[in-house]
Amino acid sequence: MSDDLSILLLTLRVAAIATLLILPLGIFAAWHLARRRSPGRTLIETLLSLPLVLPPTAVGLLLLEALRKSGPIGRLLDQAGVEILFTWKAVVLATAVMSFPLLVRPVRTAFEEIDPRLIAMGRSLGSGPVAVFRRVALPLAWRGILAGTLLAFSRALGEFGATIMIAGSIPGRTQTMALAIFQRTHIGQDEGAMRLVGVTVVIAFAAVWTTEILTRRRAQRTSA
Amino acid sequence: MRKFLGSLSLLAAFFALGLADPKPEILVFGAASLNESLTDLGKAHEAKTGTKVVFSFGASSDLARQIQAGAPADVFFSADTARMDVLEKAGLVRAGDRREFLSNSLVVVVAADSTLKVTAAGDLANLPKIALADPASVPAGIYAKKWLTGLGLWDKVEPKVVPTLDVRAALAAVESGAIPAAVVYRTDAAVAKSARISFAVTNGPEIVYSVAPVAASKSPKAAEAFVAFLAGPDGQAEFKRRGFVIRGSK
Amino acid sequence: MIDLDVSLPLARFPLRVTAKLAGDAVAVLGPSGAGKTSLLEAIAGLRPHASGRIAVGDAVLMDTATGISLPPERRRVGYVPQDACLFPHLDVRGNVRFGMAANARAGIFDEAVAILQIAPLLSRFPVTLSGGERQRVALARAIATEPRLLLLDEPLAAVDPELKGKILPYLLRVREALRIPFLYVTHNAGEARAVAQEAVVLREGTVLFSGPPDDALRSMSLVDPEARFDNVLAGSLAAGRSAGETGSLSVGSTRFAVPVEEHELREGRAVFSVAPDDVLVSTRPLEGISARNVHPGTVISREISGATAWIRVAAGGIEWTARLTRGAADELALLPGATVWIAVKTHAFRRLS
Repeated sequence: MSDDLSILLLTLRVAAIATLLILPLGIFAAWHLARRRSPGRTLIETLLSLPLVLPPTAVGLLLLEALRKSGPIGRLLDQAGVEILFTWKAVVLATAVMSFPLLVRPVRTAFEEIDPRLIAMGRSLGSGPVAVFRRVALPLAWRGILAGTLLAFSRALGEFGATIMIAGSIPGRTQTMALAIFQRTHIGQDEGAMRLVGVTVVIAFAAVWTTEILTRRRAQRTSA
Repeated sequence: MRKFLGSLSLLAAFFALGLADPKPEILVFGAASLNESLTDLGKAHEAKTGTKVVFSFGASSDLARQIQAGAPADVFFSADTARMDVLEKAGLVRAGDRREFLSNSLVVVVAADSTLKVTAAGDLANLPKIALADPASVPAGIYAKKWLTGLGLWDKVEPKVVPTLDVRAALAAVESGAIPAAVVYRTDAAVAKSARISFAVTNGPEIVYSVAPVAASKSPKAAEAFVAFLAGPDGQAEFKRRGFVIRGSK
Repeated sequence: MIDLDVSLPLARFPLRVTAKLAGDAVAVLGPSGAGKTSLLEAIAGLRPHASGRIAVGDAVLMDTATGISLPPERRRVGYVPQDACLFPHLDVRGNVRFGMAANARAGIFDEAVAILQIAPLLSRFPVTLSGGERQRVALARAIATEPRLLLLDEPLAAVDPELKGKILPYLLRVREALRIPFLYVTHNAGEARAVAQEAVVLREGTVLFSGPPDDALRSMSLVDPEARFDNVLAGSLAAGRSAGETGSLSVGSTRFAVPVEEHELREGRAVFSVAPDDVLVSTRPLEGISARNVHPGTVISREISGATAWIRVAAGGIEWTARLTRGAADELALLPGATVWIAVKTHAFRRLS
């Protein structure tokens, strides 16, 4: 049973860290995609959406190639003494990459729905672009940011394909719930696997339920 | 809003702390068939030396691939020498550190309540499906293929083969009733809950396990110590108890 | 002093406005789509494609020739758009304080709140306010930033007609109390006359006329189908002339019968407006007619615009604008110099302040 608990805690930890990591970058990207009409926009949007469309194992393999010691980034990391592959950091990385587009989309929509005149008003009243973002855009996009965060977190809890490619399934270090379910099933520990499935269902249910409630209450407050 | 972000970061820091690697421990990648024996030996070693031993079991081929990609394993215990050769060639283990004292034998298993008559290799070709650890890469499957090829039966059996990720998956397939028979190690059959040995392979290939500390290990002394423990009298006794065969250590 | 030499490409034509305005209170008139709002936005710095020169007093907000173009947050221009544009996530207090600098003059917040009388609204959210209340909050928000110039875009357009009269006094109060120069966009020449000393009429992006608001009438009637030419009268209130009348407005030496409540009599000064549609013109002295305000006068000018005739008459010391059908104007031969009588009902007078 304590094995199950440690797997659950590990999964929650990496999902939370991954979500926190992508929050600032995701909000920044969403803001720029929402406001600017630049020629590179379609390219950036496409690149950011790739993890949604590619098979997770493909994404995992790409990350693996980039990070292995003979690869471009891996070499730099090795020189700096930083180890990522097959550690919990790799789980965070795989999870972050796969969840990133799920965060950006709702946040971008929320930013796009803000009346641009409100932004202009903020500028005219004396706030520079960064201040207007912080004081007007962020508060008004609150609902979308929350939805995107919970969506990304829920996805992070279940990440499998990319994770197994760059982090393996090392119990206690990189074995998340999804990986543990797979592992247990294929060595015949069906009961143990089902226990974990049960826990996963409960958490997923709670995550989506919370999202629904929080976003609905928000809608009542800011409508009309 | 700021408060929300603030509390999130505190939470994150808290979680991150829990994930740092503080205790002295070594990571051992072991072939799937070594699951129970290595786990027990790991506990014994920890009791003796205080070093915690953490395991990752799986197909030797998969584990070797991970080590080649940079996985931070301290010790690698492979079910055949070919996987270890690959690592040695890549400079990831030193020839002088390798210990090849462990061996095993193959058996054919069926479900415990099975009524099938499978008593010789020739009967395998009559079954609809046979589970083997992937004969393209996993040692257990490679040994099985070598055996059947030596009897001239591989071509007949191959179309029935369902390749699994490792030898324990092949066993699990039989235990669940999904597949009628599998070729696994004798030691795997010993821990099976709902599978029995249908017959033992008597003319199979030579099975040689290989264990070595990984050259890039961050705890080379602890790794070497554990390998020595495994190859020593206590280790050998445990393996014998489980049904493994000792070759005569290096 | 407002110095404008602004160019800005718009959808259908370029905006090209060159004007030197004395700048205490300037009305900007013209038909919809003429570029009035774009002009205000360019001055506020919200149109990156604007070029040319904009100077308010000593401050140069933009000068393409020398490469100056202050971003909107540095222009210190208070922009109040047509529909207030309040921040929905902040209460009224938060909205008004939004643009206030950390080193703002102590008391400016209280002054803004007092002038616009929004103290009871401070904890409420914009979604619960009426159109007029939102406009007042937007105005308070703009003046709390102590701008060097106010840009008001049809501030009364989104307000219920009955309440229009209630907002205008606030604008006048802002002008008197704070002495901030402003540009005021409107379709209503009457509003322009009540509020501004200069007027600029725009058509298709260029200045058609620049001068006193009264003289803007001619240009406006030609170009702006929505132009309104309310007659605006300012005077002092007194009790009615006789028992059957509620009150009277003295403008100069003339007394007009106007609808006044008891309690309003105490206020002394007042501003009323009469729509041009409510001014009757007769070529003969009127008898037995219900209107209480009948005065002899002379036709000053007449403008024909399609089937409508705009007749200006000097009567009772006031220059009236009357709107008649062209047929009526022709039949009555209402030409400049003709002697006429004007008649206005008591209830045609609507209170502006």
